Amino acid sequence: MATSQLPLADDLYLAAHDSTRGRCLLTPATLGLGLAAALLAELVLWRRLEVQDNELTVLDERPTADPPTSAVLEQLLRESHHRKVRDWISFLATGVAAELVERRLARAGLVRRVEKRGLLGIKVRFVPTDPSLTGWPGTRIRIAATRGELLDSPDLVLTGLVLATGLDQHVFVTLEAHERDHLFDQLRRRMPAPLQYLVGHAEAAVGDAVMARRA
Amino acid sequence: MSSTSTPVRESQLSTALARDRLGVAAVVFFVMSAAAPLTVVAGVVPTGLAVTGLTAISIAFLAVAVVLAVFSVGYVAMSRHIANAGAFYAYIARGIGRPFGVGGAWVALLAYNSFQFASYGGFGAIAAPLFADWFGVELPWWGFALAGWALVAVLGVRDVAVNGKVLGTLLVAEIVLVAVFSVADMLNPDFAASSAPVNPSSLVGTGAGALLVMAVTGFEQSVVFSEESRDPRRTVPRATYIAVALIAVLYAFSSWAMISAAGGKAVERAGAEGPELFFNLASDRLGSTALHLGHALFLTSLIAAMISFHNIIARYTFSLGREGVLPRAFGRTVPATGAPKNGSLAQSALGLIVILVYALAGWDPLVQLFFWGGTLGGIGVLLLITVTSAAVIGYFARNPSGEDAWHRIGAPVLGTALLLVVTYLALTNIAILFGVEPGATPTWAVPLAYAVLTLAGVGWALILRRSRPLVYNGIGMGARSAGAGLSFRDVTSEAHK
Repeated sequence: MATSQLPLADDLYLAAHDSTRGRCLLTPATLGLGLAAALLAELVLWRRLEVQDNELTVLDERPTADPPTSAVLEQLLRESHHRKVRDWISFLATGVAAELVERRLARAGLVRRVEKRGLLGIKVRFVPTDPSLTGWPGTRIRIAATRGELLDSPDLVLTGLVLATGLDQHVFVTLEAHERDHLFDQLRRRMPAPLQYLVGHAEAAVGDAVMARRA
Repeated sequence: MSSTSTPVRESQLSTALARDRLGVAAVVFFVMSAAAPLTVVAGVVPTGLAVTGLTAISIAFLAVAVVLAVFSVGYVAMSRHIANAGAFYAYIARGIGRPFGVGGAWVALLAYNSFQFASYGGFGAIAAPLFADWFGVELPWWGFALAGWALVAVLGVRDVAVNGKVLGTLLVAEIVLVAVFSVADMLNPDFAASSAPVNPSSLVGTGAGALLVMAVTGFEQSVVFSEESRDPRRTVPRATYIAVALIAVLYAFSSWAMISAAGGKAVERAGAEGPELFFNLASDRLGSTALHLGHALFLTSLIAAMISFHNIIARYTFSLGREGVLPRAFGRTVPATGAPKNGSLAQSALGLIVILVYALAGWDPLVQLFFWGGTLGGIGVLLLITVTSAAVIGYFARNPSGEDAWHRIGAPVLGTALLLVVTYLALTNIAILFGVEPGATPTWAVPLAYAVLTLAGVGWALILRRSRPLVYNGIGMGARSAGAGLSFRDVTSEAHK
């Protein structure tokens, strides 16, 4: 299973696009919130960050081996007086996270830049180079759920963020009730606490965006 | 975190987060458009005159504004300390207890839905004669009500909001129109400055509660913006007081002008002319163009109010679904649009049923749907505000830090006392309020409905406490906070049902 596994935020990005035409299944705001939480979760998995309730703390200032997470870490250090998880998710969701993730995916050759000439100038967006790739992360989780296998930490967070963003209406529709139960049971019992907090904040931020009509 | 000293340069994070924040003017705007000035002045006031026969409306508006202002001191203070500060039930859950919070949430749902139903009745009743006059289209009121309903239902489920600029333009146009028409009222030949609308003694007389309830609508919205505003400590209180004061002065002045211009026959003419009273009185001086313009604006503002209110209800339902107080399905959105679809569909289904029942039963859309629906909603909101005010006292009794004595105790106690008097007057005058004989159906059905809903909510909360403690702990947290935990913690129990 590990062969196809990308960094968490990349997997979420792909899962959020449809596998026929490569279009985004989420609103830009919701995708941004999911990616923001995913990048922070990557930093937790890199052991650079600790999340406790509403606040985050940098444990280790050394950059990671990966540019996007290093960039986020650098920003966290630069503005270390801001410690609220929700503030950081909101800030990264303003386009910062999406840009970092798109660049990383583009470097890996998984998405490409498309320029579209419209009435109001040129619109730049990224589309998966091979739309069928976008199904991978979801399929991986579904297979694990069907076989009753255990997910690793990144995939537990991915599952949590799929639920938090409402993507489960696309990704998990085919699961049977007992398979879902198995999945949720894992989330409850096996996802490390800091990651649970992050997923919870992501879900709340998505709800907030809906309430405030920003979604 | 890192011990490096923070450079003094601009924080990117703060700048990015501040970009969408609202100022005082924007919040005042939102609050006032929820209050729908023209609908109240042209719709509620004449209908209220006709149904209740009471003319002390101006003083009632001013009195309610004072009560609301006192109430909002504590309400706004508490909004700074709790999550989900856009919903009365969240205050009740934190200040009195979660069971009553759920009861409050359900009461709010009935109250808001009845405002929405009322607007369908009002729209139908007002559009029917106008379309017959303008285009020769002869349709019963429910034809227009259904057309309005269909528009709201389609836009609602796709989550199309009326553009903020359009709403703002409509609001300004409405205020200007109400002001101009009211001045024209004063130039009416029959105009005789009447003291009845401002007679304070009528506030304690029979029917006072009726007047006061008529003046309570669309207030909860102000604090919805606390998390969106630039500086919640200053923006929201200031915006709330300004909005309440503006609304009160506008309503009080226009109803005084209207009643005075009717030259002592306000109640009779309101009974005969309905919402047309507002337009007829001013048309002598303004001519038919102003009249048509006024009618057109009346319809567009009703439509805008219908759409906005529907979206508020859909979001309220979404929030309750998200925290598990209503079925989780209501907490779902359409991923591609972020529209709270199920909340919207449910509201539309209820609206359709109400319109069809009224059409089939042949009940009067103006009095029995528009006015009664508005009154039913008004009583619900009054009950909610009263209990919320008590909840503010309860909350600060247990969490006294961060506010001075006036905000914690003085204003909330005074506000609660005043609101209790208003509620008492409203419930004891309920027959006058609905314009029926004492003992008629609405006089007992309305209080009973709210009592049953409250008890059912309390019961449901107690069931949740036993069966799903995580959901119970999250009551009042709304969709916006991660307080009690994650939805998946609770999802399994639902999957088995």
